[in-house]
Amino acid sequence: MDNDIPTVIFLGQPNSGKSTLFNAIAGPKALTSNFPGTSYKHTHSEVNIEGRLLNVVDLPGTYSLNPSEPAEKVILSHLFQERPDLIINVVDASILGRSLELTLELLELGFPMIIALNMVDLAEKKGIQVDPENLEKRLGVRVAPTVASHGRGLKALLEAAFFCLDNRCPLVSPHWSGDVEEEVKRLAERLPKEIIVAGNPRFTAIKLIEAEKTFCVEVLAEADPELKRDLDLIKRRIEDKRRAPAYEVIAAERHHLALKISEETSRVRRGRQRSWERRVDDIIMHPVLGYLILGLIFLAFFFLIFKIGGPLEGALLGPLARLRAFLSGWLGAGLIFHVADGLLQGIGGGAAIVLPYFVPLLFFMAFLEDLGYLARAGFLLDTFMHRIGLHGKSVSPFILGFGCNVPAVLSTRVLESRRDRVITSLLIPFIPCSARTTIVLALVAFYLGPAWALGFYFFNILLVALVGRLLSLFFRDPSPGLILEIPSLKAPSPVNMARKTYLQLKSFVKFAWPLLVGGSLVLSLLQFLGLDKVLNAAFSPLVVHGLGLPEPLGITLVFGFLRKELSLIMMLQALGVEYTNLLTVISREQILVFTVFVSFFIPCLSTFAILWKETGKKVAFLSVGLSIGVALLVSLMVRLIF
Amino acid sequence: MFTLAEAPRGRPLRIVDVQGREGVRRRLFALGFHKDDLIEVNSHGILRGPLLIKNLTSDSSVALGRGIAGKIMVDLSSDGQ
Repeated sequence: MDNDIPTVIFLGQPNSGKSTLFNAIAGPKALTSNFPGTSYKHTHSEVNIEGRLLNVVDLPGTYSLNPSEPAEKVILSHLFQERPDLIINVVDASILGRSLELTLELLELGFPMIIALNMVDLAEKKGIQVDPENLEKRLGVRVAPTVASHGRGLKALLEAAFFCLDNRCPLVSPHWSGDVEEEVKRLAERLPKEIIVAGNPRFTAIKLIEAEKTFCVEVLAEADPELKRDLDLIKRRIEDKRRAPAYEVIAAERHHLALKISEETSRVRRGRQRSWERRVDDIIMHPVLGYLILGLIFLAFFFLIFKIGGPLEGALLGPLARLRAFLSGWLGAGLIFHVADGLLQGIGGGAAIVLPYFVPLLFFMAFLEDLGYLARAGFLLDTFMHRIGLHGKSVSPFILGFGCNVPAVLSTRVLESRRDRVITSLLIPFIPCSARTTIVLALVAFYLGPAWALGFYFFNILLVALVGRLLSLFFRDPSPGLILEIPSLKAPSPVNMARKTYLQLKSFVKFAWPLLVGGSLVLSLLQFLGLDKVLNAAFSPLVVHGLGLPEPLGITLVFGFLRKELSLIMMLQALGVEYTNLLTVISREQILVFTVFVSFFIPCLSTFAILWKETGKKVAFLSVGLSIGVALLVSLMVRLIF
Repeated sequence: MFTLAEAPRGRPLRIVDVQGREGVRRRLFALGFHKDDLIEVNSHGILRGPLLIKNLTSDSSVALGRGIAGKIMVDLSSDGQ
């Protein structure tokens, strides 16, 4: 890391508007997009803000800094590695008391910090007026009121940030009530230098008292039994006096101090409570109306796919086909054509098939997320998710999966337990992404009718539920259950939605597009070398005898692994017919079997890669095995039934 | 004293105790659910679904699964808010 460029870390509780603020300040200019989470890799973005080069890092939202919680441990170790020159702590002014609990922990940590008092508009709508100057005095750090979604207050925030970068703003760690304070001090003084983390004895002492059975306490017990005895003694004294576990005592201390500061620094005007929000929420979460609305939103989702994505795709595919025809006329059928064709299929296919569906979906997802609806959908669907061994937090990764499985797997980072993450990640490849939707539309809806396509979707969701149920049998430890914050409803800002869509699209393009292009190139070369016939022969037992399909379709399976939607294009090419004449060479039943098999038989290469990266090699291969097994079983069933 | 899962809707409740495993308790604390806080059940999910809980002390809302709600002991609060 370059020492000349100061590191600024954005940190805040989930739903505090931290990412919105980060994007508003650094997002569009950031050189690398950010998907932080379990990876220990540093995700920096060097940006030029008002003429100063900064190294900005957007860490995932966190409620606290508890080293026994894996996701929070990642944040802590990130902080220790980065040793930030400044932390911008984003605080939700509308729930100041709770937000300040993290702020107090950050004060204990002691890195230079300023506070972005965000969502002051929402707070005011709730009838809460926070006095930033008073808060500044009370906490001893600079406070700048902001409304990130509208870009308000950014200038003052940046001024405060630059001031602290230039003049080192020292922090004062908060003090607890008498008895606890004394014990913390005693331990801090007693600590030998080598075990002090982040150069801060007080923070180390508090974390040691708070920690139950973490690795560092075990190490401590071995290295310095006497210190461990003292620590146990201090903990026991606190626990005896307060009649609660030490970690609870410390949490309660923070809670009460945070509430006290919040009460002292904000004025609550009665009567302006947001009663409309309550009323809207009563409808959205209603046992009958709520599900009706959820159903309507799903319909809107499909409407978006069918009515916007479809025509857009058509408009893009036409010129692509013409360009291909032109290339074949111009370059002949030699190696150069195949290379050019592979590149064209990769680049153009990605643009023409994935983007028309993906962009509207991303935008729609950003809308639902910013509105606060995704959490509410999680609440409504929790019951059903429990039936398949998961809970409501897995809902948003699943919904994202309809667009593309890759960001869906990424978004499983919101799940706290590894068990939930693995099950959700294994199920996501069964969610029909936009590429598979193209196949279902083109084959099932066109040749068997729209009712069949809807039936296919219904069956698909049922299959996800069944596989989920099956998987949860193998994970014996139960899901920890749902604890999901329901953020206030907010009017989404179009600029912020567009920004979010852009950033997600950018990371998709960076990650998946090279794979698409590379895959297409390889396939094109396979054809040129005549290896497709070899592959067809190799797949023949499965394709012809197992699935009852024509032998030339074998090669499409390879395409299906590289890119699902290529299976469709290659199917026509392999069978040597025009789209409209398909039924002359293949029956409706065969179309159904083919669609089912191609949809499920393997996660596409990009999904496989992201599964590997996010959940490890084992889970990625497990996913492949699971998909092949399920696809075979279901295809054979379809073949037997029809 | 009864569990949050059995609590009536729309009545101010005081948290008497948060039971359960350490991990769950810690997460609840981090979300601003502490002993002595005033909370209210806003809504019940269908088919033994989750509960929508509003924390009147910190003014935030959280959805809790039944299992977790069954570990939070509450009492009706007389002083309202």
